Amino acid sequence: MKPINKLIQQDGAIQDRSIYWDEDIYQKEMEEIFARCWLFLTHDSVIPEAGDYQVTTMGEDNVIVARQKDGSLKGFVNSCTHRGNYVCFSEGGNARSFVCPYHGWAFGIDGQLIDVPLEEQAYFNDIDKESLALKHVRIESYKGFIFGTFDEEAPSLGDYLGGMAWYLDSFMDVPGGMELIGPPMKSILNCNWKNPSENFIGDGYHVGWAHASALEIAGGALASMKGLNDYSPNSGLQVTVPEGHGFGVIWDAAAALHPGPPGVAYQKWLDERSPAVRNIVGETREKFYNGHWDATIFPNCSFLYGTNTFKVWQPRGPRQIEVFTWTLVEKEMPEELKQMIHSDNMLTFGTAGILESDDGENFENCTHSNKGYATRQGTIYLGMGRGRERTDPEMPGLVSDGWVNESSTRGMYRRWAELMEGKSWDELSKTTKVSK
Amino acid sequence: MGADNNQIVAGQYVDHNTHFEINQFLTREARALDEERYHEWLEKMVAEDVIYQLPTEEVRYRRDKKVIGTSQTTYLYNDNYDVLGMRVARFDTGLLWAEDPPVRIRRYITNVDAQWSDTPDEVTVYSNFIVYRSRGQRDDSTMYGKRLDTLRRADGYWKLAKRVITLDQRVILDKNIHCFF
Repeated sequence: MKPINKLIQQDGAIQDRSIYWDEDIYQKEMEEIFARCWLFLTHDSVIPEAGDYQVTTMGEDNVIVARQKDGSLKGFVNSCTHRGNYVCFSEGGNARSFVCPYHGWAFGIDGQLIDVPLEEQAYFNDIDKESLALKHVRIESYKGFIFGTFDEEAPSLGDYLGGMAWYLDSFMDVPGGMELIGPPMKSILNCNWKNPSENFIGDGYHVGWAHASALEIAGGALASMKGLNDYSPNSGLQVTVPEGHGFGVIWDAAAALHPGPPGVAYQKWLDERSPAVRNIVGETREKFYNGHWDATIFPNCSFLYGTNTFKVWQPRGPRQIEVFTWTLVEKEMPEELKQMIHSDNMLTFGTAGILESDDGENFENCTHSNKGYATRQGTIYLGMGRGRERTDPEMPGLVSDGWVNESSTRGMYRRWAELMEGKSWDELSKTTKVSK
Repeated sequence: MGADNNQIVAGQYVDHNTHFEINQFLTREARALDEERYHEWLEKMVAEDVIYQLPTEEVRYRRDKKVIGTSQTTYLYNDNYDVLGMRVARFDTGLLWAEDPPVRIRRYITNVDAQWSDTPDEVTVYSNFIVYRSRGQRDDSTMYGKRLDTLRRADGYWKLAKRVITLDQRVILDKNIHCFF
């Protein structure tokens, strides 16, 4: 493995190709990023009642997050402390306990060991059950979005989101809040996890080209982008925050990928909702509420606000991911509108989606070209808009004109490099500077 | 044509002739799709009020039937005729990079079992399928599943009125399912 300052150079603009391919770099990512960062697990709306749980992964660690009797959340590793077998084989559901199928050890929905078969006859009551609880995962939620971390030293989830939280509130603070429609679609992509994360955090550039066929048939506000002929930097912004998160926004385009009657119904909802949103978050963020976003919460949680697809890219080795896809809706939307948005999300960014299939091919091939030894010795380039970022008195992080930009992508790789250097949470950057 | 309507009882297996017609319809439909004759499929074989669905559910313990959160079912396909038409139109744009060079798809339809529905001139058809896809030079995948179709006969022709597809994979072990089943 090369030194980190050779893997990422020029403020994030240059990436060494080995970071998409090499096993040792991947294992270092598991240690320095996935075992430390706050990772998205699920949403309050998916596990509302006591005993409701979801099984997911943090990196490649299998974890359970469960709603407790007092309404709080607990997380733990899905691996029996006796011989290591999984204790839950369902993806989710409602349970009173998790019983290992190997020797029958039973764990409560809080992860505590509650029953050991033959405890008296074989262990002679000489077993410290308290010390044999399932491995703890730290859980916090932000406006109903539930995250976990293995790092007890990590800052609070709110501090981890940092400047991004201010932007997220543009839609997360709507009256009633947000919810996710599931269960998630799940599929496998043979690509490195960073390929989709960087695509969602700030690749507005590919939209008009890669998705040209879908834009042509869907029409709407983005159709003029087809073939990358017509674009103005005044049509949106790109934002990067020091914490490594970022997004691009296209103004007044939230409903752009909802052609036909669903788009009309969604636009009507946005128009009627906007005054209330303005009262809560102010005029600037009302504009964000009405925009279409492509975003990533570092490292691997991405979403498109407006299209309302919500995804996690679960790493499965350096060259494979498992994609989880939910639909993001406002809780107070009428059921009919929620279902229309859900169907549109399936049609565009679902496993059978007409835009998803374009992206999947590109992600896989961007990873697999690096199989070649000579190819892998080279670097790739993210220099768009470099040096043109600016700070803003109201908006956190660095702001760039134009949603076709690579500023937020550079920000993601800057954070990646800092974490890979093993910097402590105190040593990580709290501010971002304009690239030179 | 099959048995005349006077002899039809809902739930009863269809007669010999009708079964043959259904089988021929499904075989020809599969070949039309294999050969990328999507317009012909849509115009001649699909009813305009079609419902085309592919639901997916959580892998759960048998005893745990509780619907938690917002739902227990997500639809990967939940299309009507217009949406299927959009998918077909996308092939005509000449801009579909992921399908150029062409993807080779082979559909095997088996275990066809048809019963008369309680709606006149409609049959309920169960079938299993294997769909093999080959892309580029050596990228391929195989998917297995079942279909529950409603076929309707009008003016002497059968058309697809409803299809509910079930894939046996919960996690799709492929980058997409961008193909008709």
